[in-house]
Amino acid sequence: MAQWTDLYDAILNGDAKKAHASTQAALAAGVAPMELIQHSMVPAMDEVGRLFEAEEYFVPELLLSARAMKSSLDLLKPLLSASGQKMSTRVVIGTVKGDLHDIGKNIVASMLEGGGFEVIDLGTDVSPESFVAAVKDRSPQVVCMSALLTVTMPSMKTTIDALNAAGVRAQVKVLVGGAPVTMQYAKEIGADGYSENANGAVGLVKNLLAGAAA
Amino acid sequence: MPVGADLILHEEPDPEVSRNSGAALGRVIERTARRWNSPLAIPLMDLRLEKIDLLARIGISARDAEKHHFTTPIDESELTALCSELPAPFCTGSTARDEALTYIASIPDLFPIGMAIGPFSLATRLMADPIAATAQAGKGIGPDDSADVAVLSQCLRAAESAVLRSLRSQIAHGARAIMICEPAACTAFLSPRQLRTGSDIFERFVMQPHLRLKAALDAARCDLIFHDCGELIDPMVEAFAHRLHPVILSLGSSRKLWLDARLVPPDVVLYGNLPTKSFYSDSAMPVEEVVRRTVELLANMKACAHPHILGSECDVLNVPNARTTILNKIDAMMSCAPAA
Repeated sequence: MAQWTDLYDAILNGDAKKAHASTQAALAAGVAPMELIQHSMVPAMDEVGRLFEAEEYFVPELLLSARAMKSSLDLLKPLLSASGQKMSTRVVIGTVKGDLHDIGKNIVASMLEGGGFEVIDLGTDVSPESFVAAVKDRSPQVVCMSALLTVTMPSMKTTIDALNAAGVRAQVKVLVGGAPVTMQYAKEIGADGYSENANGAVGLVKNLLAGAAA
Repeated sequence: MPVGADLILHEEPDPEVSRNSGAALGRVIERTARRWNSPLAIPLMDLRLEKIDLLARIGISARDAEKHHFTTPIDESELTALCSELPAPFCTGSTARDEALTYIASIPDLFPIGMAIGPFSLATRLMADPIAATAQAGKGIGPDDSADVAVLSQCLRAAESAVLRSLRSQIAHGARAIMICEPAACTAFLSPRQLRTGSDIFERFVMQPHLRLKAALDAARCDLIFHDCGELIDPMVEAFAHRLHPVILSLGSSRKLWLDARLVPPDVVLYGNLPTKSFYSDSAMPVEEVVRRTVELLANMKACAHPHILGSECDVLNVPNARTTILNKIDAMMSCAPAA
């Protein structure tokens, strides 16, 4: 299957309107949704990630590309669902209790959606009880927590403790991130992973799930 | 000295009560300056206040203000209300901030400093997805072609009005300098890739509003202290230093101040910039590393002969379970400074 170049370029250039139109054109031409994802969209996001790591792209470019990817996925998801195929992984994400900052969390959510994950965004100031309820009710494979302030970081540990107390910790991989968070802190509180940026978070989720499946 | 009023505030029996009482807050700021032997009375860096005061103009309560975002273009009458120069009562926190300034201004050996969020940072807090809107504008998309860009432009206009009202009030209450904090003016919001290819978003969204605010400060004979702890590229630092010409330029720990000294006029004092956001963790930032970095910074600043005040990269927040370790590291940092 050849790459659908217009769609690839639209995502790479962060052009949501063109990505949407290219997806419609590809579908009209009879290209299967999963082939579009595998041969055009995922490679485009991989290239976006590479450019980010090379410091040729920055957060704004990441975000626009993720938006373009999402505009295509919004067209493809109903078709995949109707044909019995499903998106790979469900992720619950939120900014922890006491913290109202959402920009970093939103970027990670957009990147995860752009990476083909189903994202359930709990918003900001999310209590440990709400994280636990989301794990019980929505059965995600991954929980991502964000905190921008040193004063709200302890809520990450409180949430992990709550997941343990509710007996659901083993069901999920827990990732943490945010400006003051470090790898050491992630280890100290018993998280499974830490990423210092949104692009890394997508790779980390993939790696953790690959490790869990192995 | 660190931006450490929050640490001292938490020595109060009820910090929240003191935060909202002008007299108590004034005493906290005085104690902060005394604690670190500085004549500069730097207040709390509470960057929520202008948003609360702004949204109150359209009937949004202080309680709801933090989570409020504009997602569609603002109605013209609402925008007029947001930008109006008509006086409106400030929130409890802003009133306490102003009363504390009056208290500090009455103390002869302290220099009263105000605090405000920058217009661009405030605008980003008024939107749910400000980065995408800014990035679209950076691609040359105008307000007529994108609702997001239209909302950003409106939010920026409203934000500049709110900041100007805040500055005027603080000056009227005795501020002789104001620290304007613009952390969103950074590479997370403003793509260096777009700037390299000629985008005017940094000029339009950051510099132009700040040049107007600087003119207002100059007219009131009030000094500008400019703070931006975001990730910056050199042209941003140069623009802040040369075109805004603050008396003090405070930068985040991602910058090496002794290298930035080449970008900054000799009469602009550099402030900072130990990585205080990591001070809560002994594993991420052991006290020995704090000392090493402080000694390195002081030696390099001395070598480049640029005026410098040793300090934090941002405000140092009180973390309940890590208060002692944070204070120990602040003390370790300050103990490296030569005696005044």
